[in-house]
Amino acid sequence: MTQEQVPTRRLRLATVWLAGCSGCHMSLLDLDEWLFELARWAEIVYSPIASDTKVFPENVDIALVEGAVANTDNRALALLLRARSRLVVAFGDCAVTGNVPALRNLWSCQSVLDRSYGELADQTPQHPHAPGVVPELLERVLPLHQVIAVDLFVPGCPPSAARIRAVLQPLLQGRMPVLEGADLLRFG
Amino acid sequence: MTVVTMAIDGEPLAVPVGSTLLQACHQRGVVLPTLCHLDGLQPVGACRLCLLELGGGERLVPACLTPVAEGMVVRTDTLQLRAWRRLTVELLFAEGNHVCACCVANGACELQDAAVAVGLDHVSVAYQYPRRHVDASHPRFALDHNHCILCTRCVRACDELEGAHVWDVAWRGSHCQIIAGLDQPWGAVEACTSCGQCVDACPTGALFDKHDGSSERQPQRERAALLRQARETRQWHNQGEGP
Amino acid sequence: MARTITIDPVTRIEGHAKITLQLDDAGQLADARFHVAEVRGFETFCEGHPFTEMGGLTARICGICPVSHLLAAAKTGDKLLAVQPPPAARQLRRLLNLAQICQSHALSFFHLSSPDFLLGWESDPARRNVFGLMAADPALARAGIRLRQFGQHLIALLAGRKIHAAWAVPGGVRSPLSVEARDWILTHLPEAKATVAQALALYKTLLDGPLQREQRTFGDFPSLFMALIASDGRWECIEGAIRFVDSNGQIVADGLSEDDVASFLGEAVEPWSYLKFPYYKPLGYPAGLYRVGPLARLNVCERIGTPWADRELAEFRQRSGTAASGGRIVTSSFAYHHARLVEIVACLEGIEQLVSEASLMGGRIRAHADLNANEAVGVSEAPRGTLFHHYRVDDNGLITRVNLIIATGQNNLAMNRTVLQIAREFIPTPVADDAEIPEPLLNRVEAGIRCFDPCLSCSTHAAGQMPLHIALVDAGGRVLAERVRD
Repeated sequence: MTQEQVPTRRLRLATVWLAGCSGCHMSLLDLDEWLFELARWAEIVYSPIASDTKVFPENVDIALVEGAVANTDNRALALLLRARSRLVVAFGDCAVTGNVPALRNLWSCQSVLDRSYGELADQTPQHPHAPGVVPELLERVLPLHQVIAVDLFVPGCPPSAARIRAVLQPLLQGRMPVLEGADLLRFG
Repeated sequence: MTVVTMAIDGEPLAVPVGSTLLQACHQRGVVLPTLCHLDGLQPVGACRLCLLELGGGERLVPACLTPVAEGMVVRTDTLQLRAWRRLTVELLFAEGNHVCACCVANGACELQDAAVAVGLDHVSVAYQYPRRHVDASHPRFALDHNHCILCTRCVRACDELEGAHVWDVAWRGSHCQIIAGLDQPWGAVEACTSCGQCVDACPTGALFDKHDGSSERQPQRERAALLRQARETRQWHNQGEGP
Repeated sequence: MARTITIDPVTRIEGHAKITLQLDDAGQLADARFHVAEVRGFETFCEGHPFTEMGGLTARICGICPVSHLLAAAKTGDKLLAVQPPPAARQLRRLLNLAQICQSHALSFFHLSSPDFLLGWESDPARRNVFGLMAADPALARAGIRLRQFGQHLIALLAGRKIHAAWAVPGGVRSPLSVEARDWILTHLPEAKATVAQALALYKTLLDGPLQREQRTFGDFPSLFMALIASDGRWECIEGAIRFVDSNGQIVADGLSEDDVASFLGEAVEPWSYLKFPYYKPLGYPAGLYRVGPLARLNVCERIGTPWADRELAEFRQRSGTAASGGRIVTSSFAYHHARLVEIVACLEGIEQLVSEASLMGGRIRAHADLNANEAVGVSEAPRGTLFHHYRVDDNGLITRVNLIIATGQNNLAMNRTVLQIAREFIPTPVADDAEIPEPLLNRVEAGIRCFDPCLSCSTHAAGQMPLHIALVDAGGRVLAERVRD
């Protein structure tokens, strides 16, 4: 990417984490000094680690979404970001397939229930419940595309920094990346 | 040696009689995605990944099972075939619980390879989340049914190479599963010789050595072919090398 | 009129959390709470998996500190196999831990917290982040990025990949240190050291100046501190026994084994957070509040054992140690930031010593055995504090019970106390009924949490009766219809 190719307007880029481990965000930070290059092409308008903006803003060009949809807060944010973003990227295996968080789906909510807050609590065993503050868990953990329309899928647990860069570079220049081959597509 | 002449993707070629379409494609340099196929074992056409268009495209046939015939015309790469292959792999992922991230075969898995080959970036069909278990009753090996794609390579390896026939397929539909002995814990099946052929043959992380953790699987999937060759031709090396 | 002000989400930390400030009828601050808003259920869905898979599974608890879980899972696995890993394997695991503490602390300081100190508490929220730092001081930002990169690359050289590597296993590790890795480390250590030296110098200047009030008021209270410690009193990140000290510097409990963790640590539940509340059992809940992590490790250890780190430790205590402890114990939670920098020094010196050991480059690195026990606890020091993995397995090695006592979780009581203390200090009361609390003051309350550098994805527990909320949405995200069942 050369000086001549830098556009007049920086793209509005957002990153979101839902029910994930933040590994995909850490892999994004593994772009290391290329982050300086990213900053020339994009403005981070929302990101849990790189911004104090609390509400997902309007007119986002690209939203990188890490994590599966596991609770009501996740779902609400997924719907909001879809409505306010031009391009939504399912970022990492949790968003693309459900991955490890979706292992919860093999248990009924009832049986999952008592393990941590009942059996494994020494004091005041109870289920956390604070409407409006602590979100309720959804019956099923879902990959992102089963909640909102997704424009691009980037598998990996996490996707390597090289893979992330191979996806971001064309996006920042207004092109859709084509993901082919093990280096760009392999799960895990 | 007699041959038949046939056409693959519009290109004529001569193929030895008795070859399968899969072998003919290999001869032509066309790589078809496969999962239930393993050199050294009898083909079964279980996974349906190697389907080819025969004649005008109105018939799809599994390449691994279909013998070549004089004048045969096949196409290996059409839009319809690509769509079917992709759907097949999606269904395999959706049917089980394939969490690649922590699987013993992560990075050494033929299902992952098949996903890459068909350009799979996500699964559009609904994940089933079946409740499956792990049989770790054998002292050396384990079978994690969550990762099993019912390719039956283990069934055939045990039956054809070792001759013990420990494994078979039981039940139907979404309850279909690999069973040991008379649907016993693997460790209780006296016929098992612990030879490890089934583990070597498994394309995914379903069968594995109990010492292996996530991403530790080092597959030996070429062993079936080497053993078959050793048994039939009394050669214990790759073709071309001396005994 | 009584009302609740919510900070949602808390940004520049790892994971999902909110802070609520409860104002009473008179506009006085009645309470402040820290709510963890996520839970994924690892303690349940790991059941039925072979224990050999726990390293790969629990690594996915967190993308910043997967190495912590990998090491704790490996150590638990050692005990299930009833083996002692070879000496080279134990040192290689230590090397990996030092690398991850280094990168995690660099992330915490440069990427997450420094925007507050360096750009200002009141600076524009849109720029008060790592990208704002990159614009305002590119040289410093670059140095911080490269320091994190040093740790990440070392992890990749040892373990095969930067995030979610699967290299530490029950019995040892999978590969030795290569010559290329050793040479790369020795080549890049000087730059890493220069960066942390620069950060320390800068930070001390700030401590002497604009950060004095924060040092006094960000979670400064007496408490117990818990950490691993070596048998000779040195700072320890992966072996050793557990020690509790109090704010006067008295040793409250010593030589504790992780095997007995259930006897000295309890967990309580509050309805308003998914994160449980660990407490020191002999003192009960909530009097048994204790802190873990960098501040605790520096308070618990007698010395670090490498020259530069020991000099920094001495200065750390001399600057911030309380009179009540004779200058030995630091009680301010704000000092976690300084403690992190001191620990980076300790890590770099430790890495330098370890890579010079030829024994790490070959020979026995893994003990082999089959399952020999049905229950075990493994412990390691994660960047954020002491981490326990407790597994029960059946005779075939399949998990039947898992309990994970997470590093950050043990600071839950302290984090709650900290946000209340900061809110009381910085928010003028009474707050009028229709008044908004200015964003910079809310940022300060949030920053109290950032001191602890929490890792909230490590909250792992699933719960209860699920209220059901069904919404029909179109592809553009508009809700067309919905039903709720409570």
